[in-house]
Amino acid sequence: MHYDLIIIGMGLSGLMAAKTALDLKKRVLLIGKGMGGLTLFSNTIDILGRIPENLNLKDGLFEWIKDHPEHPYSKIGVEGIEEALSSFISIFPPPYTFQSLNGRNAKLPTAIGTFRPTYLFPSTLAGGTYLKEGNTLIVGFKGFKDFYAGYMAKEFKCRHLTLSLQDEGRSELTATYLSRLMEKEGFRERIGSQIKNALKGESLVAMPPILGLRDPMDAKKHLEAITGVEVFEIPTLPPSLLGMRLFNRFKEYLLERGVDLLIGNKISKVQIKSALCEGIEVYHPPITRFYSADHFILATGRFIGGGLEAERERISETVFHLPVWSTRSQDKWFGENFFDDHPIHGFGISVDPSFRPLDSEGKPIFENVRVIGTILSGHHSLYEGSREGIEISTGYWGAKRLLE
Amino acid sequence: MASFPIRFVTGIEAKGNILIFLSIAISRSEPSLISLTSWDSIYIKLLKKSIPHSSLTKGMNLVKRWKRSFFQIIKMGLKAEVLIVGGGATGAGIARDLARRGIPSILIEKGDFASGASGRNHGLLHSGARYAVTDPQAAKECIQENRILRKIAPHCIEETGGLFISLPEDGLEFRDRFLRACEKVGIPTQPLSPEEALTLEPELNPHLLSAIHVPDGAIDPFTLVLSNVKDAEDHGSKFLLHTEVLSILVEKDKVKGVRVKDLCTGEESTIETSFLINATGAWADYFLKSLGLRIGIALSKGSMMITNRRLGQRVINRCRPPSDGDIIVPNHTVSILGTTSIRVEEIENFEVTPSEVSLLIQETSKMIPSINGCRFIRAYAGIRPLFIEQGKQNDRAISRGFVLIDHEERDGIKNLISITGGKLITYRLMAEKTSDLICQKMGVTISCTTHSVPLPGANQSLALRERLKNLGRKEILCDCELVKRDEVEKILKNEKLKELQDILHRTRIAKGTCQGGFCIYRLLGLLNESGKDFGDSNKILKGFLEERWKGIHPVLWGSAVKEEEMIEGIYKGIFNLR
Repeated sequence: MHYDLIIIGMGLSGLMAAKTALDLKKRVLLIGKGMGGLTLFSNTIDILGRIPENLNLKDGLFEWIKDHPEHPYSKIGVEGIEEALSSFISIFPPPYTFQSLNGRNAKLPTAIGTFRPTYLFPSTLAGGTYLKEGNTLIVGFKGFKDFYAGYMAKEFKCRHLTLSLQDEGRSELTATYLSRLMEKEGFRERIGSQIKNALKGESLVAMPPILGLRDPMDAKKHLEAITGVEVFEIPTLPPSLLGMRLFNRFKEYLLERGVDLLIGNKISKVQIKSALCEGIEVYHPPITRFYSADHFILATGRFIGGGLEAERERISETVFHLPVWSTRSQDKWFGENFFDDHPIHGFGISVDPSFRPLDSEGKPIFENVRVIGTILSGHHSLYEGSREGIEISTGYWGAKRLLE
Repeated sequence: MASFPIRFVTGIEAKGNILIFLSIAISRSEPSLISLTSWDSIYIKLLKKSIPHSSLTKGMNLVKRWKRSFFQIIKMGLKAEVLIVGGGATGAGIARDLARRGIPSILIEKGDFASGASGRNHGLLHSGARYAVTDPQAAKECIQENRILRKIAPHCIEETGGLFISLPEDGLEFRDRFLRACEKVGIPTQPLSPEEALTLEPELNPHLLSAIHVPDGAIDPFTLVLSNVKDAEDHGSKFLLHTEVLSILVEKDKVKGVRVKDLCTGEESTIETSFLINATGAWADYFLKSLGLRIGIALSKGSMMITNRRLGQRVINRCRPPSDGDIIVPNHTVSILGTTSIRVEEIENFEVTPSEVSLLIQETSKMIPSINGCRFIRAYAGIRPLFIEQGKQNDRAISRGFVLIDHEERDGIKNLISITGGKLITYRLMAEKTSDLICQKMGVTISCTTHSVPLPGANQSLALRERLKNLGRKEILCDCELVKRDEVEKILKNEKLKELQDILHRTRIAKGTCQGGFCIYRLLGLLNESGKDFGDSNKILKGFLEERWKGIHPVLWGSAVKEEEMIEGIYKGIFNLR
């Protein structure tokens, strides 16, 4: 099978690249081991968390790019980032949309009672921007061990309610199970009235992200009609339903436009001829198939995604065996304290402005391979609060610069 | 009453009649024999008798408000017959031994039980074979205690058996000496052919020349210490955790007592005692410093690494003179590789260095080659207190035997005893000898029973198999080690816990593959919801993550890096903890 473009990796950057290529009417194969990091961390869209609170994002990015010439953002520029974000936002039609707070970072509550800065957030999280001492009732569920209303209530100085669903006949609840319940009207009516009875003047109700996968805004509006106050979600431990909603919407959009998807398969071999990649072999037990393409985009992520591997003496890239910008000795990878910004996070693949991987002398290794997403060097996305911003903007421009 | 501080007496006068009842309670009873709970009941009884019913509620509120003061009273009034300092295996063992002879004691520990070497070791139930050639006396003590512990503490022991394997580079010369030495000290051995050994332990180096089976085993030191504590408490002993000794009060040739500080409340008090036992292990010299005394303890750091799977069924030893990286001990679902021996000056703030990590992998992988590709979940170190004899320069050559010092003979202080050195496995013998000396000094002759009376819990099994059986449909807090929510709730209800570590010590939470990365949030959530948090939860969370990091980063490579990226993503990302 021959494609215009094969994208390896199904995280946010791979999905964005696929969207961009399909919008340009290209024939695309998107291959991945799973849903990528989306179901782990991408509750909201971080662009740059580490900018002064009073600064708007645009000004913050200008400053950042000036000071960080090696950062992936510097290959794109502020306007480029904005264009990529618009493209991302455009695939989420109302009612479940992504918004920012007047072009600035919003501070959204977390499940340990802190606030975190983030740029774009879905409609079900919007209520969190109003949370103040005493104005929110935090609702948890007995047996759902990844969300503790009491913990948050103490930090936020609010009251909490822990609902008990004894009649459900199980002692342990998961986010996906709760969200399936939440899709039932009868369930919403039952807990809605319990919450209403518990309200003592609060104007907001916070919940774990369990407002359902299919139509979370419907669940939100229904609960709001019953309780009479605004309902919002507070993100917590993975698996993230918020990330699943993102993934599902992308999948729907891409399939409508004729993408070929291969989920749950590993690449067993890449076929290289001088500076060109000709194709990949994919192992579908028990057979192996060959897929060829004009272009390839590597979007395999870092360690969790499987793009990088850390052996004791070496960090390597797993698909094309690209050189990884890193230090060899394991004791130099990490800081002494957990909360240090560890050197290992800056390791990754160096690329030129059109995202072609570079060798140690700064020369492109392959003519038709591009590298995008968090596997790139030059950023500390966790520390910067820039994970999704890097994924979206490099995904968009990686594909665009390749195909236009 | 005279022994009570003026501050408190003025408090009584100032607060009116309610505290007069209190003073009655105090004067009628011997304070050191009353626990806090019985204090409460005594004076609630007094309240009921002496105060009209209408005042009772008011009285109860005062009770609550002054509870802290009562703590103080009790501590101020503490008087012990025997005061033991150090809550490791030795200290707990002495408390048990004395209690069973009818002598109640008070034990003070600045952390939790088994915070020092007792909790930071290989978890090896030595057969003594390791020392048979180089230190026959220690070997003899080990095999003798090995047999006793199997009887009295079966719930802490997994009878794995052990192999001493000879590799091509070792030759068989040492093996022959080893067999003769084991026979001499009475350690049963059974030589196996390489094929037999490989059938029993398929992951062994296939080039091994020989293997010898010995009665090694695995032991859970924390359960061992807690069982001793439980028995001692049942027989009248008392334990004060998170309490530090500030100074030793000496008058002429006798110790009068110690000045102590409650590390949780910051309150200081004095405990009087007729006998003082220094069972502080590695801290033995530090403890004696204020008296100008010194035993001469060498501090030897031993580092260990934990694999994320169990590499075999038996303890695997290298059949050569004791050296670095020559023992692999199976423990529940993991294996522990060790050890190193590095002389250090400081007892606290030590960590496992990259060169130790390399050395341990290099040496242990000669016995089990798959260690090279293993995932490690943690590295940790403990400090061995070694008693320096004249002329022994190499720490590996210093005896692993223990040293009991009667400071009356040595330094002219009549009622002070130090016990240190030794091995975890000889803790009971060390406790017996110490208690014998105390009895001799008291002029009583009651003999020791700890070698024949099983420890409490001896009929229970804590094995994974049992935990799986009891799991049912209960909510699980820790997925790696299958710790149930109600297991933690039970501990919260039953024990006086002062910090997060106390809970972690008493369950298997944070001991599995993720090292608490996931379940720590759940545990803190549970504590908050049950109103038992120990203060600022996010500060505790940060402290935990930093402490956890110390053990993780030295062995962080391979697939463990993925999991760490996840844990960092959760705490620094989703939770924005900085």
